[in-house]
Amino acid sequence: MNLESITRSPARASRAALIATWCLCALCLTAAPGRAQSAKEIVDRVDRLLRGSSSKGKVQMRIITEHWSRTLDMDVWSLGTDYSLVRVTAPPKEAGMATLKAGQEVWNYLPRVDRTIKVPPSLMMGSWMGSHFTNDDLVKESRMIDDYDITVAFDGERDGVPVWEFNMTPKPEAAVVWGRVVEQVRKADDMPTWVRYYDEDGTLVRTMTFSDYKRMGGRLVPSRMVVVPADKPDESTALIYKQLEFDIPMSKSFFSLRNLRSGG
Amino acid sequence: MSRGNGVWWRVAWRNLWRNRGRTLVTASALAFGYLAAVVVSGLDDGMGAELIDNGTHLLSGEIQVHAANYLPDRKVNHTIGGDDGVDVSALLRRIDEDPDVTAAAPRVYGGGLVSAGDRTEASLLLGIDPVREPRVTTLLSDMDGGRIPRYAHEVAIGSEMARQLHVTLGDTLVLVAPAADGLLGNDLYKLVGIFHTGTPEVDGSYTILPLADLQSLLDMSPDRIHEIALDVARPSATDAVVARLESTLPTDGGPQVDVRSWRRLRPELAQSVDLMSSMNFLIILIIFGMAVFGVANTMIIGTFERRKEFAVVRALGTTAMGVGRTVVYEGILLGILALAAGALITWPVMVWWHNAPPDLSGFVGGISWAGSRWRPILRVEYSTEIPIYSALALFVTSVVAAVYPAWRATRIPPADALADR
Repeated sequence: MNLESITRSPARASRAALIATWCLCALCLTAAPGRAQSAKEIVDRVDRLLRGSSSKGKVQMRIITEHWSRTLDMDVWSLGTDYSLVRVTAPPKEAGMATLKAGQEVWNYLPRVDRTIKVPPSLMMGSWMGSHFTNDDLVKESRMIDDYDITVAFDGERDGVPVWEFNMTPKPEAAVVWGRVVEQVRKADDMPTWVRYYDEDGTLVRTMTFSDYKRMGGRLVPSRMVVVPADKPDESTALIYKQLEFDIPMSKSFFSLRNLRSGG
Repeated sequence: MSRGNGVWWRVAWRNLWRNRGRTLVTASALAFGYLAAVVVSGLDDGMGAELIDNGTHLLSGEIQVHAANYLPDRKVNHTIGGDDGVDVSALLRRIDEDPDVTAAAPRVYGGGLVSAGDRTEASLLLGIDPVREPRVTTLLSDMDGGRIPRYAHEVAIGSEMARQLHVTLGDTLVLVAPAADGLLGNDLYKLVGIFHTGTPEVDGSYTILPLADLQSLLDMSPDRIHEIALDVARPSATDAVVARLESTLPTDGGPQVDVRSWRRLRPELAQSVDLMSSMNFLIILIIFGMAVFGVANTMIIGTFERRKEFAVVRALGTTAMGVGRTVVYEGILLGILALAAGALITWPVMVWWHNAPPDLSGFVGGISWAGSRWRPILRVEYSTEIPIYSALALFVTSVVAAVYPAWRATRIPPADALADR
């Protein structure tokens, strides 16, 4: 099943092939539905759940911190993994603020001073709009299969639900910020339940929890994602999808600095 | 002391002057050793003071006051007095009242972006009181151009930052920073000053604007500040000021304040100063070690020459201890003599050096060490401890150096010595 993970060394590969063959036989014998898919495929599919080839939606972000709480309404657009645009629509004080991601670059538009500002590399780990998401989350979003080696850490039932737990460690050459990422996915419908992010020392940094699975834009998605920083369990940022459309016609020119200013 | 003892002192004194030249040479050696020890530690104190001055006066100040939870994370909401802040003017008045504090400056910090045209740099935003700040730090005293930001919507940045942003005086900058209420504070400012401290980390990262401006950018009330930086008249008073302020500063019912001296704020600086002190101690140890052997040598020769005399006084009924005692007394008297001479030559040298320190700027440029700029000036600092300790060390040196010859003197067998055997 998890061929991807065990094809490192030739010795291990041959043993893996043996195990794989045995597994296949076992599968045939039990006549299970042939969902022989690699860990990589599953993680990739989960990654693309909320995006499609292109997407458009309305999202509410609820940020709770020690000192303040805020709810932002936003319009979001995305094209592939390289382009996305987020515009705040409410409350009025923040309305018009927008963030454009084009490739590895992130730009912010500030309506108050009518300027667009490119976020410098040193601030990519900085908070996005005061939330518990970082600018880096926007850029690195769903590049899991490119940057990480994925193995199945657990395969079985938890709380009566059959799940996989995937362990993702960065590839040696990958420029990523996490030391390890662990994701749990429900077997029945490929829905993610949680993702845990660890730093290079193996310390848990934050946990993302998925819930409220709904049909939106013709597919089943977790409509609610909550990020909780490990060092401040009382704080959180919830992302609630109100409306989602997938695979709508859209071109790269939509994701321009001009559009960042003027509103999609 | 008994009367008999007085005789031995007199004998020691006369013995000392039997070979006047040798005594004077030995006393001079000790006196110069004293001079060397005091001047070397004075120089070391001077370098330490220079290091502390340059390290603290550029930016940090000698003492800082924060909310107890502010360091090390520097969260924007962790202001003195908590979320409600404090009566800043009352707080400053209380600090100004302290007799050892020469100046105090309130500050607000924010982490954000500075942007001009299509260039953007991450920056540490520092809100200052344009009147009070220059009394505490020299940050804004070396302007490449322009002046200190005084009025609303004015900023100063470092020369390195100006270079990276391609801006000159009069240009408009956008500042963006996460505010205390979670919003992304942003506004336009006019560049009125470019400072140049010579420390690249400072020149490339700080953006300075009036306190009230940064408070409004960060959506903070005027009662909320992150830091008060203090300047203290005498470095030796620092710890006392810290203790006084820690117990008496009003926080208007908010959380406790944290008062830190530069030793805790700049541990790397404190380590450098401590390292210099320990090296200094080693040098003094070597100087006095050399003195010990010099004195011992003189005394050994002196006692050897007087073998026959010692034998005679022993033969006349003097105890071995009595003979040894004269030799030790000689050492003590020599020490006192040397000390007087040492003090006499040391003070003028110290006073002259302190008031006219040789400036080596012509030979070497400024040196950056432990994040602090060090002027190549051989400055000498007075201290009360070192001359006293050195004097004690010198005294003990001459006495200790006399012990071995004294012991030898007690061991002289009268009959053999008199018979030249």
